[in-house]
Amino acid sequence: MSVRNSSARQTGARTNPTNSRSSRRRTFFTIVVLFAVIGVFLVRLVDIQVVQADSLTADSVGNRSVGQVVYGSRGEIVDANGVVLAGTVMRYNITMSPVNATPFKRTVDGKKVVISVAEAAAEIGAATGQTGDAILLTIGAALEANAKANFAYIAQKVDVDVLRAVQELHIPWTYSENSPSRVYPNGAVAGNMLGYLSGEGVPQAGLESGQNACLASTNGSETYEKGADGVRIPGSSVTSTEAVDGGDVITTIDSDLNWFVQQTLAARAQETGAAWATAVVQDVKTGKLLAVADYPSVDPNNVGGTKNPEDRGSRAFTQSFEPGSTFKALTMASVLDAGAATLETGIVAPYRYLPANGANINDSHAHPDQRMTLAGVLIDSSNTGMSKFGEKLTDQQRYDHMKAFGVGTPTETGFPREDGGILHPVDEWDNQTSYATMFGQGLTTTALQVASIYQTIANDGVRMPVQLVEGCRQTDGTMANVPDQVGTRVLSEKAAHDTSDVLEMVYQKSWVQSKWNIPGYRVAAKTGTAQMPDGQGGYSNGYLVSVSGYAPADDPQYVVSVSIADPVKLNTSAAPAPVFQEIMSQVLKKYRAVPSGATAPDLPSTW
Amino acid sequence: MSDNLARVSFSSEREPYEAPARRGFRLVSAAPNRRTRPRIFYALTAVAGMAAIIVAQLLLSVGISQGAYEISSLQSSQSELGRTAASVSEDLVRVSSPQSLAANAEGLGMVSNSNPVYLRLSDGAVLGAPASASGSQAGAASLVPNSLLAGSTPLSALPKATGTGETLAITSAPVVPAGLAAPTTR
Repeated sequence: MSVRNSSARQTGARTNPTNSRSSRRRTFFTIVVLFAVIGVFLVRLVDIQVVQADSLTADSVGNRSVGQVVYGSRGEIVDANGVVLAGTVMRYNITMSPVNATPFKRTVDGKKVVISVAEAAAEIGAATGQTGDAILLTIGAALEANAKANFAYIAQKVDVDVLRAVQELHIPWTYSENSPSRVYPNGAVAGNMLGYLSGEGVPQAGLESGQNACLASTNGSETYEKGADGVRIPGSSVTSTEAVDGGDVITTIDSDLNWFVQQTLAARAQETGAAWATAVVQDVKTGKLLAVADYPSVDPNNVGGTKNPEDRGSRAFTQSFEPGSTFKALTMASVLDAGAATLETGIVAPYRYLPANGANINDSHAHPDQRMTLAGVLIDSSNTGMSKFGEKLTDQQRYDHMKAFGVGTPTETGFPREDGGILHPVDEWDNQTSYATMFGQGLTTTALQVASIYQTIANDGVRMPVQLVEGCRQTDGTMANVPDQVGTRVLSEKAAHDTSDVLEMVYQKSWVQSKWNIPGYRVAAKTGTAQMPDGQGGYSNGYLVSVSGYAPADDPQYVVSVSIADPVKLNTSAAPAPVFQEIMSQVLKKYRAVPSGATAPDLPSTW
Repeated sequence: MSDNLARVSFSSEREPYEAPARRGFRLVSAAPNRRTRPRIFYALTAVAGMAAIIVAQLLLSVGISQGAYEISSLQSSQSELGRTAASVSEDLVRVSSPQSLAANAEGLGMVSNSNPVYLRLSDGAVLGAPASASGSQAGAASLVPNSLLAGSTPLSALPKATGTGETLAITSAPVVPAGLAAPTTR
């Protein structure tokens, strides 16, 4: 082998002299070209990888990647039984590119057919419930504003059926986008309390606004890359921000009961020609609100359907009024609690009473002097009689009791813009106010506060915080913002029981007995008829008539408070009494509060 | 290819050991044949290997992108089904609203009765005052609006669903054993 090899080398060497020079030249030339080429590549490489790197990367990602919003879901508002009162659903906006709105071809039965813009518009209109002309106008308007307009809405917040109908048309210049929306499946049931969102999803009122910190969600964003055919490239998804869902607000409301209360209240309010009305159902032992009804009501799905903006809120929370005679229960309880009188104490109630301080009190109807006990005063709802009992306490003593009952302070519900009512400090009371506050004039309360006064009396004198929200159920299932439910003693047990017995006498002997009678049950209740202010410092001819009470009186469970403002066709407490009867009956039946069959107390009303 | 070159230089390194024994002999034909054959064989192996790798790589990426298409189509069908589910459950929640239930109950001729009366089982006592239902609610007119129900018909007013496909031909009344009197309700 070596022999053959060496001989080959020799022959090579022999033939080299002429070739070697050209070969060297060729080598040199090759190297030069090679370096030149490498140099060109190198320059280009540096140019691409270093100089233009950022802009090129951005361009390439921009071409391939698609960014999209990942919607976090706003939390639900549910009732005590988990029925959804407010929920989030996905709606869709149908959009289009006006500049690309041109005729296109569609295959129909194997044949290509050209669809004109007008035909396409008519088809879209049929799906979205518009006229084709309206869509053509939208296209025209968009192009007029901007000849290269690439975006315009055809329809906003349509449901999935409409979206699918439009998508099936396969019109190349139509698109769709997600648009999360709020829906209230039960319509106006508790609608005044729930509130609503603006078109942009900003909470406007009620629980939606007050509990927004719990409900609000945060949208995330996601970026992924797609191929030329629009399919996501495997493994290219980059979630930049996680979407955070909102928590659920659990209310103490029972939606079925709330519906019943609203329906009953609205029927009576319409019948009596009332301006507005509210009804509150509260659990005596826990202070939880089971139903809060407002008339007129608002359907949060269709806020515009309620014309007067004042009707869109909840007057039970935000409208205070002079409560009138229902407030006498509080004065009586204060007197009994302070030991200034007993159930046997008697006074003489004239038609007109002119106390030493210069006030002037009269009853609603003329009558001779009457020898009355507390029960008698409450049954006849005598202002003069109440004044004679009330003056046994100092103004300051009564003021302190009112404050303890929650008058003058918004309740604990945390409802946005809740009214606390007006309770002036004692030193601002004039002579008349000093007496008027004994029978519920000269101060204002909300329907909620009146219910709370009766809850305190019913619950052996222990006032429970008024509760509307159980808490915020977060996405991990834990409850947050659970309100503190510690009761405070306002009355001695004895005073509470005595007050309750008197209120039971009122229920039995009142002139509206036939209208609020619930056979078989022991009920404690009181009517109220208060003149309404005319807005100019005086009183109008309108009355706010109300009934508040609780049952069963021997083991109180539920407070019902009904207020009807300015019922022009029947301006006495005969207007709210049947509503009280119906609501209380329904509540007792619904929650199976079985009557004990014990006999009601019988207190003397005269002496 | 570098593989091939290495083998040539390897064989030339072994020469010094064999050289003394073979000096003077001129055996030419056999050795080159033995050497060239492995070269082609190894080259082919390498090329085939590379081809196999390329093909495998291609198949894998085809597989992955096939998967991507499948995922894409499954995801879009999942989202479509999700939309259907959401829309159907929305319908369900809507028809279970109190307004819808009340309208349907009234459509069936029911009246509401809020009069609470109980029968105590222990002693048969009747608690409360039984009375016929007054239908105290304000008739069929719902005073608590629900715009979601606009245009929907109470279920009782809808035409009765007929059994599709199979015809349920029950024309005769159910057979009642003789002697069982029909209850009369007053």
